[in-house]
Amino acid sequence: MKISILLLVCALGAHAAPAKTLRWGGDSSGGAPFVFQDPKNPAKTVGFEADLAEALAAELGLKPEFVQNQWDSLVPGLKRGNYDVVINGLEITEDRKAEVEFSDPYYLTYEALTVAKKDFGVASLADLKGRRAGTLKGALAERLLAEAGGITVVGYDTQTMLYDDLANGRIDAVLMDHPAAVYYGIDERLKNLPGQFGRMAYGVAIRKGDAKLLAQVNAAIARLMKSGKLREIYERWGIWNPVMAAAFTDDKPGQHAEPTELEAYLAARGVKLGWRASFSKYASYVPFLAKGAVTTVQLSLLSMAFAILMGLALALTKLYGPKPAALLATVWVEFIRGSPLLIQLFFIFYGLPTIGIKLQPFTAAVLGLAINYSAYEAEVYRAGIQAIPHAQMEAALALGMTRWQALRHIIIPQALRVVLPPTTNDFIALLKDSSLVSVITMVELTRVYGMLAASTYDYLGIGVLTALMYVLIGLPFVRLSRWAEARLAVEKRPRLS
Amino acid sequence: MLVAKGLRKTFHGQQVLKGVDFTADPGELIVIVGRSGCGKSTLLRCLNGLESFDEGEIAFGDLVLKTGPDDRQTRALRANFGMVFQSFNLFPHLDLLGNLVAAPMIVKGMTRAQAEAIALPLLEKVGLAGHARHYPSQMSGGQQQRAAIARALAMAPKVMLYDEPTSALDPWLVDEVFDVMRKLDAEGMTQIVVTHETRFAREVAREIVFMEEGLIVEKGPPSVLFGSPKDPRTIKYMSKFAP
Repeated sequence: MKISILLLVCALGAHAAPAKTLRWGGDSSGGAPFVFQDPKNPAKTVGFEADLAEALAAELGLKPEFVQNQWDSLVPGLKRGNYDVVINGLEITEDRKAEVEFSDPYYLTYEALTVAKKDFGVASLADLKGRRAGTLKGALAERLLAEAGGITVVGYDTQTMLYDDLANGRIDAVLMDHPAAVYYGIDERLKNLPGQFGRMAYGVAIRKGDAKLLAQVNAAIARLMKSGKLREIYERWGIWNPVMAAAFTDDKPGQHAEPTELEAYLAARGVKLGWRASFSKYASYVPFLAKGAVTTVQLSLLSMAFAILMGLALALTKLYGPKPAALLATVWVEFIRGSPLLIQLFFIFYGLPTIGIKLQPFTAAVLGLAINYSAYEAEVYRAGIQAIPHAQMEAALALGMTRWQALRHIIIPQALRVVLPPTTNDFIALLKDSSLVSVITMVELTRVYGMLAASTYDYLGIGVLTALMYVLIGLPFVRLSRWAEARLAVEKRPRLS
Repeated sequence: MLVAKGLRKTFHGQQVLKGVDFTADPGELIVIVGRSGCGKSTLLRCLNGLESFDEGEIAFGDLVLKTGPDDRQTRALRANFGMVFQSFNLFPHLDLLGNLVAAPMIVKGMTRAQAEAIALPLLEKVGLAGHARHYPSQMSGGQQQRAAIARALAMAPKVMLYDEPTSALDPWLVDEVFDVMRKLDAEGMTQIVVTHETRFAREVAREIVFMEEGLIVEKGPPSVLFGSPKDPRTIKYMSKFAP
């Protein structure tokens, strides 16, 4: 079994040679207008940074390839080589510069304040004293709010939820990068204030030591700026601003391009649909969600298979192994069971590369889930085997079987029926826990939900749809387990007279 | 010939066997009697290595089992013994035929057909020919115990050991089990039986062994042990079973 894991690791761990592509990392669940799933065609990743990546790649003579990763993990993912660059509203800060190189800024902006319409009295940060303001965790805005003093700062992970909570009255104001305000502050219940707070510059993040790529990217940005291509992209997305105009010394009056993308986005979001149209809208999400669901099923089945094998090995070691091995198995089970799966996944994916073990996301996800669940399976199987009376083992031994033969042919087949319900339970749990692997760049069902919901602003409808898909995936396995349990229950057959 | 010499065993600080010498000639039917806790079951279980012992040795033909764990030797010895338990211990997940063919296939590597060729006549012998496809839970205790005897016989043992084979049975089911054992006796099988059924002991046993507090107190033919025992302890025990 260890060998098969090793084979799997080798098979999936082999690093794909970077053919002529520019692999760029971003988080498409962050929302518009940065990088997000096109509400009209959910399988497509769009955004002004997607356009920028395409333009940059074209300048470099490469094909752009988007790699999804959770925003918090974009820099670690770059360092371990999942992609060549990060283009996703990464503000150039001293902290980040210690970790990665930054290109020259490709976009300059500022923080903008959004309030609920009823709060007309708010005009500046000072007016927010004693109230609750939200922003993204670890962003410049968080520091600005803290420095203003007297404001309760609420940190969020995604910008869509920020504006949702503002509209729902959970917070009193949102301080966010101006592009986000342009896209999410436009709501009949919200109001964007004109003030500019702070200054920030987005840069393309590149691995330290990748000097050649850095120079190429900088040259490409300069060319795009000069040709007006960059301004055209920003104008189409409706986020060209005075700071950019000043910095790019491009103060030609008038617009190069109409804000077509912004209008298209707002149109897609604002439309009130009848039930027939709503149905076809949700139907159009199904293929994209189904793709995520397939990944979820593959992950879960493979992980569970390994978890069962490892769990059985651990249980047998605990029960029948030599003392030191049994003790080691016990310690291992307690350690794995006692620590969070999330930390184990981070450890495997971002920790192991520091000692030279670099696994592909899928391999790392399967390994992490399998190891975590094997600890639970081990305990289930230990209990299941112990539930079989010792007399069964004695009877088998008395017939001349070895201990292993007795286990394999007499004890384990009987224990199977005992452990079937809890094992099915664990599989259903694993199916849902597999959503955690999105932290290591896997795009599975829950991540697809996050991406879709962020771009369509529809957490409710797509949420129900996603939950339903999980239930539908789990049901056949529940039925299968019941059927197998009934078949194995020979003890319940009617007594002969 | 089966010879056990000087068997001693301590269990949780208590001496259960205090130096037992025991001999069984081929074709004999020996019944071991004594109070609960006298060590008779332990002796039986030591004979086929289900229980380890601290001192002494067991010899069967050329095979000698000494103290200390020796899986090879234990299994080699065990191949000569069939064991029947008080609570039958049939495998509940297998039907009767499955119970009978399991060990021959797993231990001796027989094919299913070879194993069935042995198993089916045995089921007939114990009167269960029509029950091959039934599961243990569907049968009465007497049927289960007869099946357990057939299962042990399927491994072609030279000696059969019975640990209180009828204690878990309703009284009217006892005889069907003893009838099978009588039949085997007639065929010349060596049988060692731990039981409280004095009627069976009196009628069938060639030799009675009386044990008390980890020792063999007295042994001899039933007529002597039941009729005129010598040792006061035997006399006291036997007085309860006046004919």
